Amino acid sequence: MGGKAQKTEAAPDPWDIGFGAVLFVFALLALFVWFPNDIRGGFVEVDHAGKPEPGDAFFPVLLTSAILVLSASHVLKSLLLRRHSDEARTTARLTRDDLIFLVLFNLLVCAGLAAMYWLGPLVTAVAGFVSASDLTYRQLVDTVPYKYVGYGIGGFLMTATLIAWAEAGLRWQAILAVMGVIAASIIVFDVLLINVQLPPNADY
Amino acid sequence: MELALEYIARGVLEVFFTADGQFDWLPIAMVFGGLLLGIAIGATPGLNGPFAMALSLPVLISVFGHSDEALLPILGFLIGIMKGATIGGAVPAILFNTPGTPDAFLTTLDGYPMAKKGLGIKALKVAHFSSASGDTFSDMVLFISAPVLAVMIERVLDLPEKSALIILSLSFMAAVAGKSPTKGMIVGLLGMLLALIGSTLSGNGPRMTFGIAALGNGLPLTSAILGVLVLSEVLVGLEEMTRARRKKIATLVRLPRGDTHFGLRDIRQLLPTIFRSAAIGTAVGALPGIGTTLAATLGYDAARRVSKHPEKFGTGIPEGVAATEAANSSVSGANLIPVMSLGIPGNFAAVFLILAVESVGDFTLGPSVFRFDEIKEIEGFGTIINKDLVVAFSIFTLMVLANLFNWTAGGWFMRTLGVLSRVPKSIMLPSVLLITLTAVYAQDGGFIAIWVVIIFGAIGFVLRKLEVSILPFVIGFLLAPRLEELIRGGYSASGGDPFFLLKSPIALLFLGLSIFILVFAGRRAAAIRA
Repeated sequence: MGGKAQKTEAAPDPWDIGFGAVLFVFALLALFVWFPNDIRGGFVEVDHAGKPEPGDAFFPVLLTSAILVLSASHVLKSLLLRRHSDEARTTARLTRDDLIFLVLFNLLVCAGLAAMYWLGPLVTAVAGFVSASDLTYRQLVDTVPYKYVGYGIGGFLMTATLIAWAEAGLRWQAILAVMGVIAASIIVFDVLLINVQLPPNADY
Repeated sequence: MELALEYIARGVLEVFFTADGQFDWLPIAMVFGGLLLGIAIGATPGLNGPFAMALSLPVLISVFGHSDEALLPILGFLIGIMKGATIGGAVPAILFNTPGTPDAFLTTLDGYPMAKKGLGIKALKVAHFSSASGDTFSDMVLFISAPVLAVMIERVLDLPEKSALIILSLSFMAAVAGKSPTKGMIVGLLGMLLALIGSTLSGNGPRMTFGIAALGNGLPLTSAILGVLVLSEVLVGLEEMTRARRKKIATLVRLPRGDTHFGLRDIRQLLPTIFRSAAIGTAVGALPGIGTTLAATLGYDAARRVSKHPEKFGTGIPEGVAATEAANSSVSGANLIPVMSLGIPGNFAAVFLILAVESVGDFTLGPSVFRFDEIKEIEGFGTIINKDLVVAFSIFTLMVLANLFNWTAGGWFMRTLGVLSRVPKSIMLPSVLLITLTAVYAQDGGFIAIWVVIIFGAIGFVLRKLEVSILPFVIGFLLAPRLEELIRGGYSASGGDPFFLLKSPIALLFLGLSIFILVFAGRRAAAIRA
């Protein structure tokens, strides 16, 4: 007794079992579906002198077999090793909130990247429409200001939105900081460095 | 001995002079620049050395290219960052009670109380002196032990033994770096498997690409590692902030200003503490996978145990600051022992040094570097020499230079950086994200690098949330090509014997140790949980 809470045994940790199970299934799929369809060489091949040589599948199969054995042993160990009930709260896990955050974060980043990718051609098209020119973004990809439009606006939207999300608002200091970072990146990656391009210009 | 001195002299001269005998200021300037950047990064909460090395590497490669001449300036900058960041971390810990890294938490225990008593500047001086001493001590151990260890390894170990040694290192990292050794080992193997995407050794075309042509040249290495290390850290930090919605990360407290003098008498008093912690940190750092936090904890604990007044620890005494700073700084040099002697990175900073070496020039790290081949001049042909060994001694010279700059300018520079400690993480992390995406795009020239960062960032985020260490994953990813080469070579050399790894007593010992470490650490982890 002695004031100490009595520990009671609870069910095995589903997250521990899940971790092992997911990797076990992954290893099975890799060995029997992925590798046979995606590796042209065999496990062991015979060279022109008749000697056995490891093929392209040799090392991936060894690694995946090791993952298979270890994940199976991890699942078994987790089933045998029972937690105490007061541990349930401290077990590492991926919550629904974590997944929602991850999805939202990636949506925001992808939206920023989409803006980065499309704004240059869009501005070029509008400018072409106004000035009756038929120049494409590909032709203007090394011309100021067109080459900075996508990176500048897309990068600003992505960074400022993430800051606003973290701070529940957007301060002037944050806006100035983002503009400073974008200006510094343009100076480093476009003005000072040669042979490299800012996103998205290498893709045009 | 004469031959060794000849190699050392050539290594030193290569840092200071170009091939045509002109004085070369570039590597020296790069070490200095890297050190200042490293101190500034260390002084900014939320950023750390590997973070800055990760972002600098693509920029440096874009600036200097991939030629042999680019290697020393690039490594000089990265070594400068690595060393600078270890001393910069003390600034926010002492002045603002804000540990930027877990090991800096221990510096706050005595550093911040000292600052509150008006001894902030003195605490920074103590931190700098202890940190630079610990770093220098561990570098000296590195310079002596790495070549000796490498020569021994190269004499004794063949392909099966080297394969088994990599497996043993991975097991050790899995055992010490996370809460579950089995999970660590599984993700280490997973990292290895993912590193094989797009590669081939049999000439049958790229493998495991899911039919995506852009993966035909393999996954961009730097992008993948930046994703797991940097983006996942950005994700975890931002998630915390979106939940807490804290606008102010550091609060400005006006601290009194008292005694700032740090003289010979203080140094004499602190030397035993510093050397004890430096020895502990060096021993810890020489083992792959064990970080600075354990070194700082052990150093602080040892200082308190032998102290005549242990009750004063935590109240603001210089011994407390010296014990943690000397211990955590001495990890960085010793961490390069497995890198230089085995080619196996033991921590994230070493990962970026290896990445730089693999991306630039034709130098390779590992035991074969320390071959003291006879130097021969052949007319009309040139000099026959082990160039890798010359580069290795040049790397040691860069480290000595970084230490010299650290001793001279480092302390002054770190005391001017208090303002950086107040940069909010909420602005820093999204900015780091934008710079990361820009840097990988610039290096790899396309959106494929950005998608790889995002996918590997998600993998790193999930692993962090499940409290699985990402270190074995990164090390596995990096070592996969070498292990594959060794295993294939060993299998071929044995004439296709499937048990070739078990035929060598040393390889068998290493494999047995790997299993023992995983089982022992697993049982220990289970016992702690129960």
